[in-house]
Amino acid sequence: MPRNAVGREIPEEVAGKPLRPFQGAFATVPEGRKAAPPLKTIRPGEEKVLPSLEEAIRRVELADGMTISFHHCFRDGDLLVLRVVEACARLGIKDLRLFPTALFPCHEPLNRYIEEGIITRIEGSMNGPVGAFVSGGGKLAEPAVLRSHGGRWRAVECGEVHIDVAFIAAPTADPYGNANGMWGPNACGPISFSVVDSWYADKVIVVTDNLVPYPAIPATIEQGYVDFVVTVDQVGDPAGIATGTLRITRSPTQLRIAKLAAEAVVAAGLVREGMGFQAGAGGISLAATDFVAKEMARRGVKAAFVMGGVTRFLIGMLREGLVNTILDGQAFDVGAVEALREHPRHAIITPGFYADYNSRGCATYMLDFAFLGGTEVDYNFNVNVNTHSDGQLLHGIGGHQDVASGAKVTIITIPTIRGRIPTIREEVTTVTTPGEVVDLVVTERGIAVNPRRPDLKEDLERAGLPVRSLEEMKIEAERLVGKAKRPMFGDEIVALIQWRDGTVIDVVRKVAGWQ
Amino acid sequence: MELKYEAVCGSGERSDALVRVRPAEALAIRISSKTGPMYEERIREVAEEVLQGLGITRAEVEICEQGAYDHVIRARLLGALFRAGDGGEAFRRPAPIAVERRGSPRGRLRRSRLYVPGNNARALAFVDTFGSDCVVLDLEDSVPPAEKDAARFLVREVLSTLDFGDKEVWVRINPLLRGGREDLGMVLLGRPHGICLPKAESPVEVAELAGLLYELEGRYGIPWMVWIMPIIESPRGAFAAPEIAKASERVVCLAFGAEDYSAEVGCDRSWEALLWARSQVVAAAATAGIQASDAVFPDIEDEDGLYREARRAKELGFDGKGAIHPLQIEMIHRALAPTPEEVEWAKGVVSAAEEAEEKGMGAVAYRGKMVDRPVLLRAKRVLELARAARMEVEDAA
Repeated sequence: MPRNAVGREIPEEVAGKPLRPFQGAFATVPEGRKAAPPLKTIRPGEEKVLPSLEEAIRRVELADGMTISFHHCFRDGDLLVLRVVEACARLGIKDLRLFPTALFPCHEPLNRYIEEGIITRIEGSMNGPVGAFVSGGGKLAEPAVLRSHGGRWRAVECGEVHIDVAFIAAPTADPYGNANGMWGPNACGPISFSVVDSWYADKVIVVTDNLVPYPAIPATIEQGYVDFVVTVDQVGDPAGIATGTLRITRSPTQLRIAKLAAEAVVAAGLVREGMGFQAGAGGISLAATDFVAKEMARRGVKAAFVMGGVTRFLIGMLREGLVNTILDGQAFDVGAVEALREHPRHAIITPGFYADYNSRGCATYMLDFAFLGGTEVDYNFNVNVNTHSDGQLLHGIGGHQDVASGAKVTIITIPTIRGRIPTIREEVTTVTTPGEVVDLVVTERGIAVNPRRPDLKEDLERAGLPVRSLEEMKIEAERLVGKAKRPMFGDEIVALIQWRDGTVIDVVRKVAGWQ
Repeated sequence: MELKYEAVCGSGERSDALVRVRPAEALAIRISSKTGPMYEERIREVAEEVLQGLGITRAEVEICEQGAYDHVIRARLLGALFRAGDGGEAFRRPAPIAVERRGSPRGRLRRSRLYVPGNNARALAFVDTFGSDCVVLDLEDSVPPAEKDAARFLVREVLSTLDFGDKEVWVRINPLLRGGREDLGMVLLGRPHGICLPKAESPVEVAELAGLLYELEGRYGIPWMVWIMPIIESPRGAFAAPEIAKASERVVCLAFGAEDYSAEVGCDRSWEALLWARSQVVAAAATAGIQASDAVFPDIEDEDGLYREARRAKELGFDGKGAIHPLQIEMIHRALAPTPEEVEWAKGVVSAAEEAEEKGMGAVAYRGKMVDRPVLLRAKRVLELARAARMEVEDAA
């Protein structure tokens, strides 16, 4: 089987579709033209509002084998995916391809519909139980496909994925289809993930629980792309947005990592007027961002922009004048949703704006540095964010690849041990992000510098920071945790991991046993 | 060995294991592991080794673990088995030495001593990575009376397994008459560098501890002298500090404990209220030619307060300060770093002394003041502190 540029065996085709192996972060030169949705018109006075999802599904003639899409802006508080799939099941529609931006633990009931053949293919991130279920093998007709935020945008735009019907959960909408996520009883922040779906899908259904008089502004989703508007009692639960640990960690180990990461940024001379950076939302990233913010305040410098899953911490930086602009692609807590309405320099952006490979500019390319996480990292600085060391597919890519390939200094913060599982490996279980776009790996035991960056190594050493090799840190950690069994992988491929340009950087195989 | 009772040891916390044992007709080991199949076999091996070592062939063993390391599993199983029988010498056999450790110089830097609760597997999991000069594994205040036996096993296993690098590793035992002797018998097997003696009030206790250490070093084959750090935390201790400091050649540092002291005196925990006791500790240590280490600062959130207190401790003559959280270490080190002026002075003193030695001159003066031996030693210590604080001291030895 041929190997791609990160040494992974990639089959030439899967389910009759040829696969392009990953060749390098910026190797692909796109050809051809963008896909095009069908031309449509409307006459004055035509109504778009329908009383129920079932009615809408009938009117758009949703049929067996079609592709339906969703955004994940409610994260673990999403209600729409299950409601639509249930309605399809009731209407006898089957063999659907689900194309969400991401699924969460709340979507566990989907597993039943997968068993029943209502859903036979999934292209999208699977965080938690659905991913675990799919990892078991034999569940889907074709391997799942995972893409980064930018990769998904690109896939729709170039026609790699054709959406038959886009369902867009809208916390506020008007009867003509203009919609946003900023207002309403269940506001969830930007819903800009769905913008590309609205542009390219054959049919677009906006679903809202807050129908307002025309016009709903801002129109993140615009009337010209929307076929129908459906009202429901509740469109999503904002309480589910803040999943995981959206607070600054108190763990001494995590804080040490965060501190080291922030010190590395300072040592590299990146804390300066006009900087731009990505702040992750994990406990370590939040703490690292907090340390950087303190250093900015101490030096009296202001960042030009910051992006990331937006949290109240970033909002605080904006209000304190430490940041000029927040580029907001996704709210990670309710505080961020509220703030979106109040501050003129808190702007909604689309994944196309920040991450599309096939574009003439990505906001991620303007980043000076970024804090990112991972489940594993290897001697070649490759990072795994998708699978755990036991082979289970439990996380999506998010913006990981997009940010890593854009930022001038990409920093992976990761403890060397997580619940006895060592995270530094000779080879990661799954390559999500290639080492060529990763500069530093920061653990509680020190900082590993990618040999491609001798300049950074010099900066860090001059500042007296503990520069160490991944090999050394791995040996130390393994002394503590002892020898573990490793999964053996069979032939069955349960998921493809795409690089942001549409090539395949890795595949996830079913676990066949342990050795 | 036969089990007599059903017994439990450990917890369901992350990085810990809950082990239950009971008498049975045959040997049965059941394992439930957070990491699934990854470590199950290894955990079974560890359990079998422990059981074999004690000659136990009939027991039911249940191990429910949350990502516990081998040495935690071992400690928890030993703890449960200890409780299920009547203890005995079998539990005090030296563990195989899994880690290189060398003795620690008498006068080394001891800017920070980080206390880590001795029965908390989670807190101990990363204890080798924190940046303090000294780590103190605690068997005293942080361990409830009913868990002392379990903590002894855990501390011993941590000591024999983890590589603490160039950190000095200490154990704070309980007062000798309240479990301290039992603590020593177990933890010395792990070869710590030193023992912190809490609530030290008389030189007799220190001498007694020194005697016990001498005996156990011989019995367990420890190739260095185990140091003693008496903690002065009562008025009686403060009055006896000069004698305590000189009670044994093993005493390398006197520590001050502010919480118990102020509680007993009935005074505020303010700088002024404790100034006499602190001064007494510093003066006693200086007279004996040993170091003095200040009390812990109890408010983890108050970084500025910690810095101020550590800075004042330095001014008073303390060489180090206690920490109850790894986050406090850096602040302590920063506060104890010499000022640029001090470094400048120290460089001058050292180079003047070197010059004098080269020229064969006996006495030498720097900035018009005689440089005698204490001054030279002081200057050298300042440079050592400066290097530890990563200050520029390129031209000094």
